Amino acid sequence: MVDKERNIDTHVGELLSGYVDGALTQQQRQLVSLHCEACEECRETLTRLRELRESIGKANLSELYEDKWRETMNDPTVQTTRNIGWLMFIAGLLAIAGICIIGFLFSDEIPVTMKLIMIAVYGGLAALFYSVLRQRLIERKTDKYKDVEI
Amino acid sequence: MKNQDMRNQLVQLGNGAHALALQILGNTDDATDAVQDAFVKVLNKPGAYDADTGPLAPWFLRVVRNRCIDLIRRRRPEDANAPELSDPGPGPEDSLEGEQRNRLLKRALASLSDEQRQIIVLRDYIDLSYAEIADVLEIAGGTVMSRLHRARMALKEELTRHG
Repeated sequence: MVDKERNIDTHVGELLSGYVDGALTQQQRQLVSLHCEACEECRETLTRLRELRESIGKANLSELYEDKWRETMNDPTVQTTRNIGWLMFIAGLLAIAGICIIGFLFSDEIPVTMKLIMIAVYGGLAALFYSVLRQRLIERKTDKYKDVEI
Repeated sequence: MKNQDMRNQLVQLGNGAHALALQILGNTDDATDAVQDAFVKVLNKPGAYDADTGPLAPWFLRVVRNRCIDLIRRRRPEDANAPELSDPGPGPEDSLEGEQRNRLLKRALASLSDEQRQIIVLRDYIDLSYAEIADVLEIAGGTVMSRLHRARMALKEELTRHG
């Protein structure tokens, strides 16, 4: 009874927003429901807040359309920047690999047998990598679900 | 997250991000630039987003918001203070009633503080949860409800005044 009296005397304030957003605990929801049953002012505010939320949700605040952002994704600048990034990264890696291979092959300190063993190991790894990469690329090209947008 | 999935999600977030940027920067061209910059940043470095830390939306919106703040800082000092949202003109594609309602809402929103506009857009337009809003705005989670309520009440007042 005391709770109920306090409930009516004190407005629930910010809890009304929480109520509209479904962000309250069960106890808080009950408090707001009881209060709004008795308080016309809060009941009206609650209705107004619901309307407000709905009208903002439906409003056109951006004035742009999804296609605009889809175009941006395919924007030449975006694509070019990314392609340049990849190109520089791969070129750098190849340069480092080249220097290491030349250094290894022309080194006088490493015996020829060791060189042959290392060539076999790394050649094998490269062949395996190539076969997996090729398989992935073929799968990607023939994947009928790849263009499905969720 | 796969690159294509991320792109699809970003496309869907575009309008919400633009609406948020518009509330911060005050004009649609700057807002478009900010969102595009954020796209470039994210797409050039997709690994920066870790799906284990939470959904993409609040993370991306935080990137957009930070970009907007950067842009405001770079503006000339006389432009750097609170941006004024221009009164939106009529759009030819809208129906008369819808257009009027939209203009009224935008005008009322424009009269709120920067923080109030942002929190309303994040909750009521983009539909983020309270925790996600706290994440984007970098505020304590426990203060979201009260801030949002104050913002909504201010908007309600403005709409009553203008309506």
